[in-house]
Amino acid sequence: MKRQIPLLLTFFAGAIPIFAFFVPEKHVGLVSTTLDSWLIIVAGFALLLGVVNVVQMNANKIKRQAQGWPYAIILLAGLAIMGFFGFAGSFNVFGGIATRPDGSSTPFDWLYKYGFLPLQGTMFALLAFFMASASYRAFRARNTEATILLFAALIVMFGRIPFGEMVSKWFPLATEWIMGKPSMAAQRGIMIGAALGAASMALRVILGIERSYLGLGKGE
Amino acid sequence: MRNSVHLAKRFSVCWLCLTLVLMLSSARVQGQTAQTEPAGNSIPEPAPPVAGAVTASDTKSDEGGSITVKWTEPAGSKEMGLEYEVLRSDKQDGAYVPVGELSAGDSEYADTGLTDGQAYYYKVRSILGAVSADSEPSQAAFSKGNFFRFYRLNALVLLAVFSSAVLYYITRARKAKPIYIRKIAGLDAVDEAVGRATEMGKKMLYIPGIMSVDEIQTIASLAILGHIAKLSATYNADLEVPNKDPLTFAAARETVKEAYLEAGRPDLFREEMVNYVTYDQFAYTASVTGKMVRERPATNFLIGSFYAESLLLAETGQAIGAIQISGTAEVAQLPFFVVACDYTLIGEELYAASAYLSREPVLLGSIKGQDITKFLLIVALGLGVVLESIGIKFMATAFKMQ
Amino acid sequence: MNLERIMQVDRRIIYLFVAVGTILPIIFVVGLPVSITPPVQMAFDRIENKLHEGDIVLVSFDYGPSSAPENAPMADAILRHCFSKGIKVVVIALYPLGGLSEAVNELNKVAAEFPQLKYGVDYVNLGYKDGAQAAMKKMAENIHEVFPTDVNGTPLDQLPLMKHIRTYKDMKLVVSLATGIIGEWWANLVNAQFRIPVIVGPTAVSAPKYYAYLEAKQMVGLLGGLKGASEYERLVIDKYPALAQVYSTPGLYTATKGMDVQSIVHLIMIAFILFGNVVYFTSKRKPRKAS
Repeated sequence: MKRQIPLLLTFFAGAIPIFAFFVPEKHVGLVSTTLDSWLIIVAGFALLLGVVNVVQMNANKIKRQAQGWPYAIILLAGLAIMGFFGFAGSFNVFGGIATRPDGSSTPFDWLYKYGFLPLQGTMFALLAFFMASASYRAFRARNTEATILLFAALIVMFGRIPFGEMVSKWFPLATEWIMGKPSMAAQRGIMIGAALGAASMALRVILGIERSYLGLGKGE
Repeated sequence: MRNSVHLAKRFSVCWLCLTLVLMLSSARVQGQTAQTEPAGNSIPEPAPPVAGAVTASDTKSDEGGSITVKWTEPAGSKEMGLEYEVLRSDKQDGAYVPVGELSAGDSEYADTGLTDGQAYYYKVRSILGAVSADSEPSQAAFSKGNFFRFYRLNALVLLAVFSSAVLYYITRARKAKPIYIRKIAGLDAVDEAVGRATEMGKKMLYIPGIMSVDEIQTIASLAILGHIAKLSATYNADLEVPNKDPLTFAAARETVKEAYLEAGRPDLFREEMVNYVTYDQFAYTASVTGKMVRERPATNFLIGSFYAESLLLAETGQAIGAIQISGTAEVAQLPFFVVACDYTLIGEELYAASAYLSREPVLLGSIKGQDITKFLLIVALGLGVVLESIGIKFMATAFKMQ
Repeated sequence: MNLERIMQVDRRIIYLFVAVGTILPIIFVVGLPVSITPPVQMAFDRIENKLHEGDIVLVSFDYGPSSAPENAPMADAILRHCFSKGIKVVVIALYPLGGLSEAVNELNKVAAEFPQLKYGVDYVNLGYKDGAQAAMKKMAENIHEVFPTDVNGTPLDQLPLMKHIRTYKDMKLVVSLATGIIGEWWANLVNAQFRIPVIVGPTAVSAPKYYAYLEAKQMVGLLGGLKGASEYERLVIDKYPALAQVYSTPGLYTATKGMDVQSIVHLIMIAFILFGNVVYFTSKRKPRKAS
């Protein structure tokens, strides 16, 4: 039963949306959209499980005074503060969780705007620096393919900025050609291959041939 | 003589009157352009041409409640700037209400939200500026639900061909000789990567992507995680799996636990090996990159669905000198992995990994079936290019997906 | 000179150059010219030439604060264009992590520049809906079921603009400002199944993927990253000179200003790449010379 039930559930969860794709019968479509809703509900409960895990792990870290335990205190404090203002705000305490009608921020909104968003922006901004160091390391003319890659990268990088057009109108034209023809062709090839691979994997999962994600071992 | 003069006078008077009438008429016409004429005195605008052959029938391949109205456009409708309004009534000679507006060039309208089995009649009103003209009403039309979306028949055929190929080779795989699969360097390097971590006494970090288990890449990643966890149990290497998604976290924990059990080392499994970090993409990235910099794992596996954080993770791993094996089907992130990682599984190689690593004949058979379908698609693509070039649009129509 | 050591330049030196190249153009605005590319021109022409006053456009905020520097200028430019032309806008958000806050902020900011427009008549914000794909499919049947109320909780039947809008058929265009996969779903799902024209404004990293959809005519325009946003700003300012005043507001972040930074950083990266290759080739030649 431990093996059969998850496999049966997987089969129905996979087969019903495929059936609904071809059969417009109202009730099939309804089951399919209901499954989508169930996924959101299950994910919500799984989030609770995740939060419990975070609290447990960090509490243990503080208890054992493992390496970096002060940061665990900061993490738990952050979780508690945002969680408290979020819960309270959902019951309209402190004016809710969004900006108040008069334009002032509720505590949750303030923490989101002036704490969370700048931190998120900082991490995203790191990409610029990492891209520079990765480009410096990667774009070396070691062989023929690498040389073609190097020239394509230089043309596109130069063509996407105004300086490129100032130097020659061919840079933006060449850039659009590279993006619109060989790059697009390569992307299409990878997308088609990946789609077939995904379809094959999905078929194996639906039919119960692929079971390793359930931790059930051999695919017999 | 007297008669002639009389006649001449009469003629002159008539001629004068006629001239006066003509002059007054022309003044009136000119006056119309300079001042507003009262209503009823202007020359009426001609009525626009009427839409012809209005037919209404049940919309095909839907779940009911919809009728498609078609009509023939009058000649020159686009040049005229004609517009159409579709009108509906439940009686042929009853009151018609507007249900849709279209411009010239459109000659089909699908009316929705109807009751199945009830009769509906349609007219098409042609509108040109302020004037309009209605067509003859259509015959009665009834909507009903259909059991199959015929416009997706081509998708069903493709699905049938694909599934048949995969299932055929899966069935054959057990009886036939071992199926050849080409070398995938990234997967061959897994053993070496695990061994490296064991020798160095450092941990391995496995990042299963940032999407949930409803994403097929995550399932493929969990399959690979199972294999790596088994190796880790065998070699007694330290493995950590930080997760961004709670469902993936739950599935990953079960996968690793079962793998350790299967390897005969359940005692080595610790729950904190697989942990949940946070749902936010960049907070998760900050946590994992911080872990990489502090704990300096010997091996990083970045396998699954990634977005903007891919370069942050891969480049940090590269900076600390870890051996990195990555794999994703996200086309936009592949270049970052290729640049920063030692091995990258591209697209379908990720999905083939579980078959490749386990060498199960059944799984290898499915890869062969998938490859046969790809070959057929390549043939269709080539044929399509040739046919399109000579003006035969059959392939484009055959593969059109709705 | 130890060429090996030069080639292995500390990445912090690269970071320092990039940091300086990012900060200086923000302080000393350069104002580089912007050239227009065909995908952006197509998007602009679609709204400018094919849509008329009173037409409905659906603008979907499918990005969050992390990619706001790229996507927000696109959103602003599209909204300003629509409002300047008298096109009515229905705003929704499908991105779970901050899509709603971006929709509220950008719509309110741009709407304030057009005081003659009225909420509920000329534009509405329907808020956020979970399960993007399911929402997109359901909107083809009845948008009122997907969004029963607007972001303020007002039932849609009480909003004059939404009274006659039920499905995609009542709209002329969808514009998705996207990061991640939601933009792709508009092109390969909504356009393919329901035939409504789609314009997508993705982040630069995702933009190459969308050329395939543009070529296949599943999209009618593409605004790729910050460059695409700056091009659209240029087109909108040229067509509607009154907007030039808005865009020259001191302290206002625009894509054109951001492109100055991107241009300088690109040049720095190109310089480092060329430098690295010169050193690489020189170090390869040296052992041969010695022998």
